[in-house]
Amino acid sequence: MKIPLSEVKKGETVKVNCVSCGFGLIKRLSSLGLYNGSDIKVIKNDSRGPLILKVLNSKIAIGRGQARKIIVEK
Amino acid sequence: MKKKIALAGNPNVGKSTLFNTLTGTRQHVGNWPGKTVEKKSGRIDYKGKKIDLVDLPGTYSLTAYSEEEIIARNYIVENEPDLVVQILDATNLERNLYLTTQLIELGCNVILAVNFVKEAKKKGIIIDKKKLSELLDVPVVMIEANEMENIVDLMHMVNKRLKNKKIPRKISYGKEIDEHVCDVREKICEYIPAENPDWTAIKLLENDDEVIRQNKNRKGFMELWDFVSKQRMHLEKVFGEDIITIIAKARYGFIEGLTNEVISKQEKEAKTLSEKIDYLATHKYFGIPLFLLFMFITFYVSFFLAAPLTDGFEFIVGFLQEQASFLLNSLNASSWIVSLVSEAVIGGVGSVLVFVPNIFVLFFFISFMEDSGYMARAAYVMDRLMHKIGLHGKSFIPMILGFGCNVPAIMATRSLDSKKDRILTILINPFMSCSARLPVYVLFAGAFFPKSQAVVIFLIYLLGIAVAVISGFVFHKILFKGISTPLVMELPPYRMPTLTGLLIHMWERGKSFIRKAGTIIFLIVVVIWFLANIPYGVEYASRQSLIGWIGDMISPVFEPLGFGNWQSSVALIFGVVAKEVVIGTFGTVFDVGEQGLSAVLQNMFTPLSAAAFMVFVLLYIPCISTIATIKKETGSWRWTFFVLGYTTIVAWLFSFIVYQGGLLLGFV
Repeated sequence: MKIPLSEVKKGETVKVNCVSCGFGLIKRLSSLGLYNGSDIKVIKNDSRGPLILKVLNSKIAIGRGQARKIIVEK
Repeated sequence: MKKKIALAGNPNVGKSTLFNTLTGTRQHVGNWPGKTVEKKSGRIDYKGKKIDLVDLPGTYSLTAYSEEEIIARNYIVENEPDLVVQILDATNLERNLYLTTQLIELGCNVILAVNFVKEAKKKGIIIDKKKLSELLDVPVVMIEANEMENIVDLMHMVNKRLKNKKIPRKISYGKEIDEHVCDVREKICEYIPAENPDWTAIKLLENDDEVIRQNKNRKGFMELWDFVSKQRMHLEKVFGEDIITIIAKARYGFIEGLTNEVISKQEKEAKTLSEKIDYLATHKYFGIPLFLLFMFITFYVSFFLAAPLTDGFEFIVGFLQEQASFLLNSLNASSWIVSLVSEAVIGGVGSVLVFVPNIFVLFFFISFMEDSGYMARAAYVMDRLMHKIGLHGKSFIPMILGFGCNVPAIMATRSLDSKKDRILTILINPFMSCSARLPVYVLFAGAFFPKSQAVVIFLIYLLGIAVAVISGFVFHKILFKGISTPLVMELPPYRMPTLTGLLIHMWERGKSFIRKAGTIIFLIVVVIWFLANIPYGVEYASRQSLIGWIGDMISPVFEPLGFGNWQSSVALIFGVVAKEVVIGTFGTVFDVGEQGLSAVLQNMFTPLSAAAFMVFVLLYIPCISTIATIKKETGSWRWTFFVLGYTTIVAWLFSFIVYQGGLLLGFV
């Protein structure tokens, strides 16, 4: 099932399917370990405000707007 | 020839700790030429040899995403350091190795210094150092940067590698990519002979703006570019993805293969203390109150804990003043010299210096917030609020740094990704009350609100934040309509900072306060002293003196705010040079130590007008250094003058509301 990252609930691990934002952001996200095919875990998602993800072994805060542009597979 | 080493690494991996450990006090802090990014360089003395060490900006990667990344890689390409030491975080080796792969692509002579090994062990991560070194063809040293552990081993390895340079073997990214890179490499050698054809090949394939910009005017580039574009299109077709993702995946593919062999993990998923703290620190409802509590403690402590120290300083200043007068009188110095030394120099500069303890404690806390990893959480919880003013949480960090000093705070806005965010964050930064304004509050709150000093000072700071946020909201609605930029920010693991680290950071930040007292503030108080003594024969610092006359000219402007006395006007005017001068001026014109200063002020102000005065000092025109920084960072006189005008109007209005509103409510 493919859904935007912003819809993923806390505690779930998902696989990134498509990052549809500018190349600049794709570069930044991939250097943090978030790219097509990588596994990420949602640590925090309070229906408002930014999400907190676990990418590789670090915590990354990402704006909700950006999270909507990242499609993931459950 | 002196050898050159560059220190590279991700943010938050202990890079500056290692830098301090290696160089000690032999450091120089400046800017990268033409950039607003700080450049730290230093010297290592190793067995009688002097080695230069340059601290590259902390980056996750060497793409051309940010100014920091461009600086780091251009330094390596252009200055060809003899050795690059990369410091890595053992608890997150995969991501740290992403930078390593790119250093190897660049053909650097690299050493890896793996930090936080003990912490990793506690988390069940064991790294096979020997295998890592073999597979990467790069020497690896395990260290604890903050405990000085194995620094000797590191230096030994550094020395060895400086003597025998060795470029690690190339990393294979799989047959398909390797072949394309190789083809492009050959064409590069044919068309535009480059120093570093392998690296240039990967970067051109990656569509790297900076490398394209550097080469596009060279003869033969167009032909080469046609070829590269075809190769890229072919790769994208084969993999069905964009080139950035293809190469990133290839690098991570290599890293995964590597770490599978090198790292043995015993999952320990128990909730760590870090998780528990984070649960509260980033909580929907508790997050912001927790942050406010932390700020309150900060101000409370920098006020009360430092009080005995401040008293000690006062005692010394008073003692010096007496001794200097005594000594000069016994030497039969003319009375004007005695007056200059004891009133202007010791009285004026001294009244500023007594606040050194408060300011250093404040900087200590700010350093703690940054070094412990809490700062990023504060930015996270403030994100929603910041969105209301068209910014995101990251802009909150320069705002907190503004509590220390607005100059580095405004410089810190360079970490923001968009120009609009930067300008907006810069415009509201002066309202964040810097430590130079703290002496004014400490003095006034102490004199007029002795029972609730800390609360009053805290309220002043909150007012500063409120005015910043309201202004941001107005600017966002009127000046910068449009979308806000993306937030992507690492929340680094919590780490207990070392005392030495904190003290070094506190000193680095606080020392400019002492330097200012010895230079510009000294100069200004001497000027004030002269103005207070002309025309010749006038009574010192009386209304008839030149300074009294200047003050009288301006004071009607402040009459409706409750402080129409000429001394306050003079203090505020000279306070634009540096905010501490407000106190320094009072110290000079009243010729009393700080203790006596409160008594004199009590005759001139009421509690209400004192409050209005504090509000005015909080909000009015930023000091000259801040103004200069605003000009430099925005690159625009228009914005600079806008800030000058805006802050003056806002300060006057708020002060007016406090005073007149207070009168209406029956306060005095």
